[in-house]
Amino acid sequence: MILNGVEIRDTFAEAFPMVGTRLIVTADTPDWALTAGRVTTGFATSVIGCGCEAGIERVLAPQDTPDGRPGVSLLIFAMDFGSLKKVVPLRLGQCVLTCPTTACYAGVEGGKRVPLAKTIRYFADGHQISKKLAGKRFWRLPVMEGEFVCDEDTGSVEGVGGGNFLILARSRGQALHAAEQAVAAMGQVPGIILPFPGGVVRSGSKVGSKYKALFASTNDAYCPTLRGAVPSQLPPEVGSVMEIVIDGVSFEAVAEATRVGIEAVCAVGTEGGVVAIDAGNYGGNLGPFHFKLREIMSAGAGSAGGVA
Amino acid sequence: MSGVSLKPRAALEARVDLSGLTPAVACATSLRELEHLAVPYGATSVPLGELFFIEGAPEGVLLIEIGDERLDGVGAGMAGGELIVDGRVGAWAGRGMSGGVLRISGDAGDFLGAEMSGGRIELAGNAGAHAGGASSGSRRGMSDGVLKIAGSAGERAGARQRGGLILIGGDAGAGLATGMIAGTISVAGSVGTLAGRGMKRGTLLVNALPELPAGFADTGTHDLVALRLLARRVPDLAATLKDVTQARRLVGDTLMGGQGEVLVV
Repeated sequence: MILNGVEIRDTFAEAFPMVGTRLIVTADTPDWALTAGRVTTGFATSVIGCGCEAGIERVLAPQDTPDGRPGVSLLIFAMDFGSLKKVVPLRLGQCVLTCPTTACYAGVEGGKRVPLAKTIRYFADGHQISKKLAGKRFWRLPVMEGEFVCDEDTGSVEGVGGGNFLILARSRGQALHAAEQAVAAMGQVPGIILPFPGGVVRSGSKVGSKYKALFASTNDAYCPTLRGAVPSQLPPEVGSVMEIVIDGVSFEAVAEATRVGIEAVCAVGTEGGVVAIDAGNYGGNLGPFHFKLREIMSAGAGSAGGVA
Repeated sequence: MSGVSLKPRAALEARVDLSGLTPAVACATSLRELEHLAVPYGATSVPLGELFFIEGAPEGVLLIEIGDERLDGVGAGMAGGELIVDGRVGAWAGRGMSGGVLRISGDAGDFLGAEMSGGRIELAGNAGAHAGGASSGSRRGMSDGVLKIAGSAGERAGARQRGGLILIGGDAGAGLATGMIAGTISVAGSVGTLAGRGMKRGTLLVNALPELPAGFADTGTHDLVALRLLARRVPDLAATLKDVTQARRLVGDTLMGGQGEVLVV
């Protein structure tokens, strides 16, 4: 399959079940809401090292938030519900509570409850105020700046983590440009985040290592500087590879983001130096979710920017 | 199963206690059985059919076509459905109700919505004393639900309230929120003396600073994000708190170690 001169390889992305939740963080200004969002989702690129994967889902206009102030919607994913219950209050307490003017609200209604103020209300040392109205409880914590308002808890969803695709391009600059186009387009898809820096991973990994202590290591088959020295997946003209990793609240959300992202990369096309689209998998035996690139792209081919 | 309508045959000469006759009970009983249902009437009890003409009504609705101040316990204990009274009711209307909607187009006597734990009461007229309060000897008043009084409320509304929302469109009598444990009361009109005495927690939303007991400490005026949240999340407070961002906050009753608050918005 070739779209606008870009080869879509006949492979699939292999993804795993994750448990996720959504937080709505608001602040007096869009800048402070974004600051809170960035800090709260910082150091959350991969569960392997960070305990969770998190990102800003989208920016919210004042009329779309519970308190009528500018806000951001954050998604946080962990491998199991127990870990999620641990990481969310930690991030809430260290990153949202501390950030000037913020308030934090539940962004998911259903599912198992993830504690928010239920845990961090004790920071107020007995001065915390609870209000339960219209079936929802929220807390007010007196702080030096004024008051921190926070919902009691939020719901959770069974999501999908580790959806991905690889952009194979002629040069580093061209690979990055194509990746940036994909990230920008995927930002419009609801229910997903791209947890890596700026949405892009430059150091995709394979499972295992020659060193016993490591269970993941550099994906040498896609390292351009190792072509010829190791069994390589890269044709001679590829000079750089970027990966985009997607976590989402459902299989459909991740599939849609994959489609939108690849479409944006293909719109850059061969003129922009893109050679092929590939995906990371472990042979299909580890993760229950398979995102077959060609199936996804043929389903949405009608709306593709440049179909060759 | 369908609805039931009750129309008094004549003016009541003694107090009638309707407290077990919820919409669920009335709708699940045949009209003929309802006619023979014994209800307390003064010192005796009489069949319901002796006091009311009993007819059908829309599904799930219990309708009392002409209200009377001698009708006590209207909607007491109801857990669902809708009870509509065209006119006034006596004491204990909606007592201990846990769900459903009770609409009264006239005034209500004392203890309206006392100890209710859910559902919604809408009163078009004025309420007597102890609206949303606790019955005598009881430790806790209303714990959840909404009690909306379009007119004024008598003395000690929300006494020992521990949750839910009371909205008073007119004035509130003396002793509002006495010993309040938690919950919210919003008063559009004036507030009588000794409001919040012995208040432990909970919130009183008022338009003007009332005369408060000595145990209230003025913390000054603050920009409170919670007000913006309430305005959007609680439709009943939307009009009261529209575009309100600041409130003067008085905390009390500190003489009792309380941390309740009066918010002047």
